[in-house]
Amino acid sequence: MHEDKITSDESEGVFNEFIEDQLEDIFEDIINNGGIDRFGENNSDIIIEMDDINPPILVHDDGGSGGGRGRGAGPGREGETIRFNLPFKNFMELIAQKLKLPNLTKEGKGKIKEFSYTFKTFGPVGVILDKKRTFKRALKSSVSAGIYDPDKDKYEIAIRRKDKRYKLPKREEKPKYKAVVFYMGDISYSTYGERLELEKRLVNFIHSWVDFNYGPGNVDHRFFVHDSEAYEVNADEFYNISNAGGTRASIVFDLINQIAFNEYEVPMTNFYAFYFGDGELFGDDSKQISELLKKSLKPVFNRIGIVEVKPSSISQLKKELSEQYKQDQVVRVTEIHDKSHTVRVIRDLFGEVNAKH
Amino acid sequence: MRSISTDKELAYLYERVLYFAKQFNRTLPEMRFFILEGMEFASLLEKKVYPTSPLNIWEGKRMVTKKYRIQSGQESTLYYEVVQTGNPSYAYLNHSNSAMTQASVMAHVVGHCEFSELNVLHDSNLDRTEYVMHLVRKVDLSRNQMGDKYYLNYWNACESAVPLIAPSSQFNLANSVDTDTAMSIDYEEKSADKNRGKASLMPVSSTLSKLIQSGQKFDAFADELSKKKRQETLSRKGYSLKAPCQDIMGFLRNYAPTSRAERAILDYLYVTHLTHDFVIKTQIMNEGWAMYWEKKIMTELFKEKAVKGIIEYSKVFSGVCYPRPYFARNPYHLGYNLWKHVEGLYRDGKVSLDYFEETDLEKKKNWKKPADSDVLSQMEHLITTVTDYEFLRRFLTSDLVHELHLNRIDRRQAEYLRITKEDIYDMNQNWVWLNPDPIKEEMLKFYTSFGRPRIYIIDNDFHDGGLLLFHRDDKKLLRKDWIKPTLRNLNIIWKSGVFLLSKSTLYSYYASKYNETIVTPVTFETVMERMMKNQKPFVLE
Repeated sequence: MHEDKITSDESEGVFNEFIEDQLEDIFEDIINNGGIDRFGENNSDIIIEMDDINPPILVHDDGGSGGGRGRGAGPGREGETIRFNLPFKNFMELIAQKLKLPNLTKEGKGKIKEFSYTFKTFGPVGVILDKKRTFKRALKSSVSAGIYDPDKDKYEIAIRRKDKRYKLPKREEKPKYKAVVFYMGDISYSTYGERLELEKRLVNFIHSWVDFNYGPGNVDHRFFVHDSEAYEVNADEFYNISNAGGTRASIVFDLINQIAFNEYEVPMTNFYAFYFGDGELFGDDSKQISELLKKSLKPVFNRIGIVEVKPSSISQLKKELSEQYKQDQVVRVTEIHDKSHTVRVIRDLFGEVNAKH
Repeated sequence: MRSISTDKELAYLYERVLYFAKQFNRTLPEMRFFILEGMEFASLLEKKVYPTSPLNIWEGKRMVTKKYRIQSGQESTLYYEVVQTGNPSYAYLNHSNSAMTQASVMAHVVGHCEFSELNVLHDSNLDRTEYVMHLVRKVDLSRNQMGDKYYLNYWNACESAVPLIAPSSQFNLANSVDTDTAMSIDYEEKSADKNRGKASLMPVSSTLSKLIQSGQKFDAFADELSKKKRQETLSRKGYSLKAPCQDIMGFLRNYAPTSRAERAILDYLYVTHLTHDFVIKTQIMNEGWAMYWEKKIMTELFKEKAVKGIIEYSKVFSGVCYPRPYFARNPYHLGYNLWKHVEGLYRDGKVSLDYFEETDLEKKKNWKKPADSDVLSQMEHLITTVTDYEFLRRFLTSDLVHELHLNRIDRRQAEYLRITKEDIYDMNQNWVWLNPDPIKEEMLKFYTSFGRPRIYIIDNDFHDGGLLLFHRDDKKLLRKDWIKPTLRNLNIIWKSGVFLLSKSTLYSYYASKYNETIVTPVTFETVMERMMKNQKPFVLE
């Protein structure tokens, strides 16, 4: 019994590697059909539910566990499912790898610094006592002094001053990136049911993706809605406010433009904006948006996404902009009709411009 | 993980438990106790109750899902007791349990260790845990030799053979395989004897014709020929299959062409899963015996006030021994109560010929003629001679089924199962009692195949070196979508074609190709007969 602790860490590691391979197969299904509208809250682990895997064996066919697929030398599958946690970071890395999403470009490097303290060194004086190291040293001394000797029923451990070890802080400096994400929603159309569901899924993904790229504490997420006027709301209101009145989308683009320039240090901040609406605009609204994009927003924003959610035949925003911003690095225009398009929309918003998918 | 000696209170309790075990004259191996954290306990269970295990994906899967269940509150880490019997036996205590619970666990372990020592299947060998740890090291070395990818591939293939372990089957290795080093019972001779016996009972005309045809000479020639064939096989391969072999993994472990590294994996998996056979065949007796001694020793500990909490213990005990219906049998409840019943029978001398031959029911009812020998030694004798099947067959009666509520099910469940009034024996507001008469038979049926298909190797040279498996017809089909991957896995181990004959289909995995062929079905009896005659048990037409 030379092991101090009984663990299955190595085997868990092998299973996790295996799962990553498996996830690649079911990845699109997770994004398109999984509960991604709730994932990544506070960077918590992602709960993965997938078909159970078992070694194939000769068993009676009792009809209860249908849907299995044997996998030869690898694991077989059963109809039942297994659930386990996958760290948020690992999952986002997998997304980036699978969807071939490049890292978001970060500006402001070297100008803003983030300081942190780590405790990697240890010394004989300090404030925070390292109990484990101290105890180890004390135990060694006590053994050599003969006061700890289980064979002779001696269990005394004396902690001398020179045994004490303290954790010493070390200052670490990292460049800090600041990012702001503006989410813009059209509340004049009926944002309920499937439309709301689709919007939530995308907003949540963007939220997680930007957080993952910049670190959760470094991103401001701000929500704006518009009908005939535009104003800021909190995240919950973003999904719950609705109005049946007329609509002007350009005013919300104008509003975030003003906020970006007035409330943030433009050269130090990475700006992202995503618009969700049915694309049914009136008059020259689309043209005004196009102008704003071209003159004010595009030069300073890292990414602007315009998503028509379940557009109708009279939706015109995408028509107006797509020709102009075809293959554009900053402005991405796309549409979503149902949740099976989620992966495609994510690629449209964050993928390489020339990537084929 | 730490030794019990690091905890003074537990070390004292251990000493007291051992003291009372000795006072009760228990036959015990050396018992070593260790204290584990909750997650260590979970991991230990996934390692088949050995402190180390080689790297494998399945243990990882079970631990990852278990951690999720623990984190999400669906499962607790509050395991009570785990013991790996052997000499020494290793028992593990959960650090979060109270002193009273730890004492009861130690007393319970006393029962398990003794049972494993005494039982006819004898689940106790010297340095078992140490040997498995040695095997783990060998497998770790093998992994380095094989490379991770092939290692995992081979391990996964072996997992398909793990349920095919049957060391104490009538058709185990010793009874099925002749080797050049140890020739076992001559099956053929036996069968020849049987045939001779049958011949004397044949009708006169047959006897006459047999005499006229002077078949004796022919038999002698055939005998000689089959002996020669067997001798040739033995000298060529070192072994020959003389009867169906149900211990398929044991056979593969001994006779599949393996490298040392591959053999180490087979060894580890075989040895660590070997005890399942013992567990499944003796669970009721074993748990009952453990509960029986746990209670006796705990009563002594409470008497001398070595431990407090008798009310709490009573609650736990009655919770553990809560009756469940026969199809979801609770081995603690059934085992404990059966042992108490058996103790009563022996005490009153009811396990005797006189009692069975007594026809006066009144006398039988009031029978009290204690036997000369000690009740306990008679119970021990029972352990040394029988397993669960015989234990239930001999002592479980319809009255006892009803008394122990093995026929009791929740009323709503009865409605859900659409149990008819004719099958209901008794009922109240919450429960329904089924007719107890057929229940014993139902319970005994489990021991025929333990709910698993009966698969045998019947030919190790089928189609030029292929392994032919036979599914003994049990009126059930095999799960079809798992046949191909299972055969493919067995093919990795056997390194030649693997075939499975199930009812009228011959499934084959040969040269990376999978085929299903419709064939004329053969019975297990025919296969046996042909093998006895040293003929091919099955030939493709």
